[in-house]
Amino acid sequence: MQATWVFDGRSSTTVSAPGDVLAPSRIDERDSGNGVGQFARNDRPMSILKKVFPKGDTLLVWFCKFLSYLPLLALLGIVGELFFQALPSIKVSGFGFFTTSDWKPGSSYANPISTSGVMHPPGAHFGIVPLIVGTISTSLIAIVIAVPVSIGAAIIIVEKLPAKLSGFLGLSLEVLAGVPSVVFGLWGVLVLGPFLSHHITPFISKHAPNVPVLNIFKGPTGAGEGLLTSGLVLSLMIIPIIASTCRELFRQVPVTAREGARALGMTDYEVVRKVDIPWVSSGIIGASVLGLGRALGETMAVAMISGSVTGTFPANIYSTMSTIAATIVSQLDSALTDSTNFFVSSLAEAGLVLLAMSLMANLFARFLVKRVSGTALPVGRGV
Amino acid sequence: MAEAKKIKGRFLKLGWLGTGLAALSIVAAACSSNSGSSPTTTKAGSTTQAGGSGQNVTSELQSLEKPPTGSIALSETGSTLLFPLFQLWAPAYNSAYPNVTVTPAGTGSGTGIAQAAAGAVQIGASDAYLSSSQVSKYPGLLNIPVAISAQQINYNIPNFTGKLQLSGSVLSEIYQGKITNWNDSKIAAINPGVTLPNLTIVPLHRSDGSGDTFLFTQYLSKSDANGWGTNYSYNTTWTGPAISSALAENGNGGMVSGCKATPGCIAYIGISFLDQTNADGLGEAYIQNASGKYMQPDSTNIEAEVNSLVGQTPANQAMSLIYGPDAGGYPIVNYEYAIVNSTQSDANTAKAVAAFLAWCMDPANGGQASYLSKVHFEPLPSQALSQSVTQLKQIH
Repeated sequence: MQATWVFDGRSSTTVSAPGDVLAPSRIDERDSGNGVGQFARNDRPMSILKKVFPKGDTLLVWFCKFLSYLPLLALLGIVGELFFQALPSIKVSGFGFFTTSDWKPGSSYANPISTSGVMHPPGAHFGIVPLIVGTISTSLIAIVIAVPVSIGAAIIIVEKLPAKLSGFLGLSLEVLAGVPSVVFGLWGVLVLGPFLSHHITPFISKHAPNVPVLNIFKGPTGAGEGLLTSGLVLSLMIIPIIASTCRELFRQVPVTAREGARALGMTDYEVVRKVDIPWVSSGIIGASVLGLGRALGETMAVAMISGSVTGTFPANIYSTMSTIAATIVSQLDSALTDSTNFFVSSLAEAGLVLLAMSLMANLFARFLVKRVSGTALPVGRGV
Repeated sequence: MAEAKKIKGRFLKLGWLGTGLAALSIVAAACSSNSGSSPTTTKAGSTTQAGGSGQNVTSELQSLEKPPTGSIALSETGSTLLFPLFQLWAPAYNSAYPNVTVTPAGTGSGTGIAQAAAGAVQIGASDAYLSSSQVSKYPGLLNIPVAISAQQINYNIPNFTGKLQLSGSVLSEIYQGKITNWNDSKIAAINPGVTLPNLTIVPLHRSDGSGDTFLFTQYLSKSDANGWGTNYSYNTTWTGPAISSALAENGNGGMVSGCKATPGCIAYIGISFLDQTNADGLGEAYIQNASGKYMQPDSTNIEAEVNSLVGQTPANQAMSLIYGPDAGGYPIVNYEYAIVNSTQSDANTAKAVAAFLAWCMDPANGGQASYLSKVHFEPLPSQALSQSVTQLKQIH
């Protein structure tokens, strides 16, 4: 048992943390002569590589350590590069970027002018507020629809359906999660948008009560491209994410707790309401934010069905609009024709804002999960 | 057995190293890809004299048209207005010279200019010429006219079969959100005897970088100089004010289908989509030219417009043909440009690019009516053709 596992330059006994009950069996596996660790044992003939590179193991350790930092480096690199690209826009637009609503590239055919030492086309002005509003409002519509649907679907799959059917439905959820977003976009453009604008939205618009909040459903309904269609398609895209996570969560609820609740005379509804949902509520929040993250950053489908109008606030829930991600993808090519690069710089700043929004959503979720469960992990807790 | 495992182990180690290196190089590439890799350019932008007489041009075209031997693949991307024509030209050139394949793509003029400047494609297509600042940023970039095109203004007013006339100032106010209904008195004033319905106008514009946007906003800038011209000017990206009833579409195809789906819409669409707009039942407006006459584009008034301005075209051919002085000219007409870097990756590619483009504009080949009339384009007038040939010869 004193065999030294050379791979990490430490003895095998130090590999396992104190109290790790699984550790002895791992060591046994290596000793049994089948494990990967065997090839580098000291009591075996030295490998050729070992002769050529006597320090090879140490090098490999350092290399692997470096690899483990690569994701962090990549993230920092992306943020740094984005910030560097966005710098001219930050200098010229300043806080105006977050307080104004014009999204105008200016005239790249006129001679560029200089503001704060940055060259840009005359008339160029970028304000991101409508894009932030568009991004948040589409995601909110998606979440409002997707969360109840997902929880309901997950509960039925886990609690009520026979095993075969629930397995099939679970599988179909996962297949839905794998549908490429451009296919959702195509469906939105060709099927859902026209269907809504011909058969559904005129009816809703006509009969919606003209009171605050609900009057967003009144007014012109457009041609099917806009906020509502985008929100609906986004909700379809995030339902599989939220529902399949919820399904796993509800499976964690101990059967004893449920049976106990039933024994006390609770109805199905009460079991769900008082046992199932409270047991995994922090996990549900985590799952919802996973979905929200996807909705905030979703690009292609929204670019196809949002109406792509920049610079305006939606007048009602059917209005055309655009999101940060969709604007970046549909305008990058024409931005590249701006010889001063100011347009690209503004898109880069928009990208930074989107990054910050996703980050804030994640942090907010962690905060909520912590408050509900006392742990940062989306796992269950007692009633 | 033990020996086999050892070897396996070694490979495992090597595999690990390989994967690590691959991951490393991917990240390195990703980090460095954005740090300004401008294409190699030479000082070829210097102005040269316009070419000689018609006889010379024909023989010059013929000598240029034959590509070098060996298989050569060219990519074209850009203008969705020019795309249908490249779709006709590419297979025809390939059947004449099977060793050259050209792959066209309709992505919008903005993409065409950007990708040609970046060297991602050999030929970019654009309805808009290069701006002077683009030329100074990419000195090797040429804009070479290959044909003449026009823009039409379409609308979707259900059950309206009358003749609709629109002036630059009315269009400008529609796209500024100042005129919002088809029964507006300003529209009625220029359409005597025509009854327009009470219907909200939905102005469509392009969401991508587009030469159509460039041409249309340039028409608005010139015909409504004090209004649109001062406030919004023109660009390949939509520069107009945001109005809440507006809708933006991707590509000319998107404009056609979007307008069809939207009663009350008005849209600017390239003339190469005339067959689609007719098939979809969209109306086509009569547009006011600088002499106050209203007309729909046809070969006579397009050629009249071009001929009135072709003499002023500079050697680099960056020239607007919009809102010209000819009383019989249609006001929204343009050169369709191939955007080409004068320095190509190698001599064979350069020759093939020049050969293909020469074949496209040759009145005996790609410039024949049998190609152009399918997309309702007009051939280049002889003076423009000889200027284009002079530019083609700069590609090396």
